[in-house]
Amino acid sequence: METTRTVNFVYAYKDHAGKDCEAKLDVKFPFEDESLEELVTQLLAQMDPMMRYLDEDVNLEKKLQAFIDIEHQKFLDDYAEKLINQAANEELDLEAIVRNTERLYKEELLQFADRVGPSDEDIFAQSFHRLVHSTSLEDILKRERGYAKVIADMTELMDNEVESLNNSQQQEMDSQINQLDITTTSEDINNLLAQQYTTQNFVRKRYESELEAMMGHQKNEYRNWITSQVSQMFQVSPVSTPLGNRSSMFVSQQPSMEESFTIHLGSQLKHMHNIRILSANVTDLCSPLHAEESLNGLNMALGLYSSSLCGVVVLTPSIQAQANKSIIKNANRSTEFHFDQMDVQLEKIEKQIRALNSSDTSSTRSNGSGNSGEGSANSSPAKQSVPKLKTGDFFITKHSNLSQSHVIFHLISDEPINSPSEINSRHPVILGLRNILKTASRHDITTLTIPALLRHEMSEDMTVQWCIRRAELVFKCAKGFMIESASWGGAELSTLQLLLPHDISEELFTTLAGMVPNVFRVANPKILVDNNK
Amino acid sequence: MANATAATNTGTSASAVNNSNKLETRRLCALTFFAKLHPGDVCGSNGLPLTPNSIAILGRSQRLKQLQHANLCQYLDVVRGKHERTIVVSEYVGHTLEEHVKRHANTPLSNTQLLRIFYQVAKALDVLHAHKLVVHNLEPRHILIEQQQQLEQVKLFNYGLHHMTKGGAYVPFPLGNVRYMAPERLLGANGSIKSDVWSWGMLLLEQLLHVELWPRLKLSNIAWKLLAFVRSNSSSGGGALVLEKIAREHQRWEMYQELPHELRHLLERCLSVLPAQRPLPSELLQHKCFADAAEMLQVASEHQQLEQLPLLLRCPLAQIYHLWQLAGGDVQAELKKEGLIRSEAPILALPQIVRLSGSSVCPPRSQSYLMDERIVLLKLQPLLQRLSRLPASVYFPLLQSQPRRQQQQQQQQDLQQQLPLLIRERDIEYQFRRVRLFTRLLHGFPHTADQLQREAAIDIPPLLRGPVWAALLGVLPNASYAKIDKFTATTTDRQIEVDIPRCHQYDELLSSPDGHRKLKRLLKAWVTAHPQYVYWQGLDSLTAPFLYLNFNNEELAFLSLFRFIPKYLQWFFLKDNSAIIKEYLSKFSQLSAFHEPLLAQHLSSINFIPELFAIPWFLTMFSHVFPLHKILHLWDKLMLGDSSYPLFIGIAILKQLKSTLLSSGFNECILLFSDLPDIVMENCVIESQKMYECTPKSITHRQHALRTQAPHVLDIGLAEVELQHLQSEQCPRISAKDVYQLLQQAPNELALIDLRSVVEYSRVHVPHSINIPFATVLLGEQRLEALNVPYLEAQLRGRIVVCVSNIHQHAVEFSHFLVACGVLRTCILHKGFNVLHSIEPNILISN
Repeated sequence: METTRTVNFVYAYKDHAGKDCEAKLDVKFPFEDESLEELVTQLLAQMDPMMRYLDEDVNLEKKLQAFIDIEHQKFLDDYAEKLINQAANEELDLEAIVRNTERLYKEELLQFADRVGPSDEDIFAQSFHRLVHSTSLEDILKRERGYAKVIADMTELMDNEVESLNNSQQQEMDSQINQLDITTTSEDINNLLAQQYTTQNFVRKRYESELEAMMGHQKNEYRNWITSQVSQMFQVSPVSTPLGNRSSMFVSQQPSMEESFTIHLGSQLKHMHNIRILSANVTDLCSPLHAEESLNGLNMALGLYSSSLCGVVVLTPSIQAQANKSIIKNANRSTEFHFDQMDVQLEKIEKQIRALNSSDTSSTRSNGSGNSGEGSANSSPAKQSVPKLKTGDFFITKHSNLSQSHVIFHLISDEPINSPSEINSRHPVILGLRNILKTASRHDITTLTIPALLRHEMSEDMTVQWCIRRAELVFKCAKGFMIESASWGGAELSTLQLLLPHDISEELFTTLAGMVPNVFRVANPKILVDNNK
Repeated sequence: MANATAATNTGTSASAVNNSNKLETRRLCALTFFAKLHPGDVCGSNGLPLTPNSIAILGRSQRLKQLQHANLCQYLDVVRGKHERTIVVSEYVGHTLEEHVKRHANTPLSNTQLLRIFYQVAKALDVLHAHKLVVHNLEPRHILIEQQQQLEQVKLFNYGLHHMTKGGAYVPFPLGNVRYMAPERLLGANGSIKSDVWSWGMLLLEQLLHVELWPRLKLSNIAWKLLAFVRSNSSSGGGALVLEKIAREHQRWEMYQELPHELRHLLERCLSVLPAQRPLPSELLQHKCFADAAEMLQVASEHQQLEQLPLLLRCPLAQIYHLWQLAGGDVQAELKKEGLIRSEAPILALPQIVRLSGSSVCPPRSQSYLMDERIVLLKLQPLLQRLSRLPASVYFPLLQSQPRRQQQQQQQQDLQQQLPLLIRERDIEYQFRRVRLFTRLLHGFPHTADQLQREAAIDIPPLLRGPVWAALLGVLPNASYAKIDKFTATTTDRQIEVDIPRCHQYDELLSSPDGHRKLKRLLKAWVTAHPQYVYWQGLDSLTAPFLYLNFNNEELAFLSLFRFIPKYLQWFFLKDNSAIIKEYLSKFSQLSAFHEPLLAQHLSSINFIPELFAIPWFLTMFSHVFPLHKILHLWDKLMLGDSSYPLFIGIAILKQLKSTLLSSGFNECILLFSDLPDIVMENCVIESQKMYECTPKSITHRQHALRTQAPHVLDIGLAEVELQHLQSEQCPRISAKDVYQLLQQAPNELALIDLRSVVEYSRVHVPHSINIPFATVLLGEQRLEALNVPYLEAQLRGRIVVCVSNIHQHAVEFSHFLVACGVLRTCILHKGFNVLHSIEPNILISN
């Protein structure tokens, strides 16, 4: 069906000598974004320049306007008529039209949508946020610490028992091995090994299920308690901090080396951001919350449902949805009261990856070879059916029991550990980083930690030169993304933390920290002068 | 939900009925929705990221603010919130048609009444059609009725949604109520006024039959009903069948048949399935049924007496809204209070997986992102109360009033004027006075030009800045802009296309597609209008503030620019502008030596010359280096000064960075200026103003400046000072005329150093001048004490130091010495001592 139509406009006029002339122009319909003035100009250009001074444009504009009004309406009428005829002749799928219309109205307009009440999570979030900003804060923290203590004790007990079991088994094994070929055969040893393994497994399983039960119990109890507290609160004071307020997380743990800068970004309108460069182990940023007496618990609780969240980017290889082992361990040190336990979150994510893969196999296959880059270079075609994320993809876990992060971005990077490679700004990991910043901006994550070398550990092959090049790339890309983020219309990133490996040399750290003010424009200090002097 | 708002509406107005029914009927309201997110990472055709839809909406909706008609609710503002939220603020009067019908439940509205109402709706449609707009969401909720004595005043509400969202393309939700939707719209046609005529007909029919159409049908069933009309009617195409069907379905067939024949005929035409058979709004108005209604309304409007409205409500709505905001009104907060902006914990909405390909796994979308059609009324009562104490003379100030009463006000105002500008701009009462005063002054322009200039020197109310600037620049719109060819392709188009997406893009208006289009038109128009000039990069930044202030009035923006450039940037846009720029920058160096000798000395010693940093400053009048909100305050003062004023702004900036600059070398300076640090604009403005006022005019003399009067005999004449002089002399020259004036009027601000020999000095000299014979001076040692003149420093401090000699070179060298010693405001007498002889009456004395 024609969606546009061109009609020729003829304008007859008398020129300055009184001769009859014509100016012609093809006008496209529907006439929407074009401007009448532009067409008038085009027509005038066909005439003698003198005509402009004779105010011919006034009349021309009037004529053209009338012409366009009529033709535009005619076009619309014809277009609609054609549609109507088609509908009448059953050439259009009316069924689908009605279905689509209904779907659109139901999905996008509150008036027609099937109303769902707020989810349990929403309600809990509301209640918790309200409580945390009240006098009950102290009680909450006390309770959380108590719960954490129980779990920590249990874990410790488990670790101890497993270790002592290990020791005794080791001894037993040693003695058996010593007796090898004297009183025992290799078969006996194999048997023993199997038996030891089962016992160990049994002990571990027992504890794990016990832990799981305990965590489930704690979570229930805790959530019920919060809800009950809130209903009491309601009767007392209705005021509270609204959900999604601003909150700030102050870091009380001092990493080994760090330096902070305040920077301005933007050419005319300047946005202020904080940049902190620090060297630390990434797991330190995700350490268990209640391990020691600190303010972290307070920070975490106040910030959890606010609109200033903290996020950490952790690199992870592409082998399924696997997170950093020690982070999982940290997360399991206490009960996750607000979200699923981390293992469960990971499990769910894995399930979703599988679903995602099966749903868009066609699309991934078509561009799979193109943008997977190094990520899939070593994966054979047969392996491709295994659900797997590629370099630059990331998955997200949420936490309420880690010290400095509410959100962990697990960014897939398959850079081999011992051979640092060269990457450029179009590398999937960098693009993934951009996506992370974008997600952060959309979901109010205002403090973000990124690995500045895209590595968590130093290795011998990482020369000073390589580190400088890599850091410069990451700094510059981060700067670019931050400038870009101003137009995304989301939350502004207030603090960007550049994380360097914990085992970096002091010298290299100083060098890299020195690069920050060169790449980012450091804000000038404000000097207050007494004008009266 | 709709009922809930209806209930509250009636509740509030019922309670207010006794005292302030009139008051409560004129209100502001806000509604909000989310713009569509761009999927993944897409780039536009120019390779730049796509503009967010909310910005595009903001740009498009500016046009709607211009619409003012008795039957349309005025649009006042569109605000962009976080995460693509868009908030529309508009006028709201009376109550909806729905409520109106409910109120008259006992005595159903008569046909005459209904016709009167729908006549006005048709009028609104006609106006919109003339502006090439369509409504597409016509329904009872959007027809507002205000009862005035016996007549109903009708205003159409929320009619701009179709235009601002580009026919719904920028929002995820569909527009319009299916019940009143024309069948072709269901099939995908969009943008025809005839679809609105259908809706109009349906609404009218519904009211005439006193029923609610298909009250219990599901959405999909209504859609099927409409499509059924299409199928059954394709052959005949007439509306008669549609009408019969509807009337019979609702058991109103008899009632329908009792309607006057003409009215039935009109409805039949409106509800024709084929749009071509439906009338245009203008035809509706001409219809015989409306003859009575039209006449009645005509008579009513002629006999309309001045309403007993509070004074404030007689002011333009835009001003009221502005004041409402100053009074602490916050649309977002109001929407939050009503639950239209619901806060949800952001952490719960995080996606679980995001892939490079753009696909992601997210938790189910929360319903708070759905389109909620409720509106929130903004209360004007607090504002009215706040301003009710003010006398009527503030609402409608008299410009030529008796001076005594003014004095008292003057004192009060003087007190307020000592407050910082930023505070004054937020003081509601102060702003109210200023806005009213300037509104009056602008009405009287150009006869009030002098008074306007005086008032603008105090400050300019932000609301009226655009027109006030235009008035200060002497702009009188004369429709010349329309005649300029803005479309023919030229060689500069490419550069303009490149520059526009980089020009003040942090601003929402300027970054919207509409803003880009307008800026391009303005630039092309300026280039076409000045064949002697070329497009220099920077013209875009220069144009941006004018466009920003006059977004809906391109002509005013253009003419302001047209007047602005010769005033401050005469000849700067020549293809070869090197001579002009060189002269300008040399003058800048001289003036910095005049006001900041030590700094100038330091900068020239490290070879950090103005060419390296100041060209973009002056070529764009600082609009390239500062964000818009700072430029506005800067230019407020600039507009009042002459062409030399920008030079002082430059010096004020240097002054603010003085301590950093003095301790920096060449490289640090380059780095510092490559991205100018945050400058405190208010100090900058005050400093530059001070310097501007204490500098004699001839000091700033430039050959290329725009001159409106012929120079005085004793002035520095045209072409008397050449570029090479300017470049070799560190200190500016002062004219004999200015020296004479200073001697006559403020001898305490002048220190004349006479460099001639003692003999010559004793023969004839200027009274109170200091004689330091040049021959006796050792210039090697750069200390004032080396001159061995008692109390010299004290005699020079705080004064304009003029070096006078017979031999020009002596004066130049001595002035360099003074600058090196850090003496402020050193200058050289143009044409030397001998010119003083020609002054009449004689000022010279002899010993």
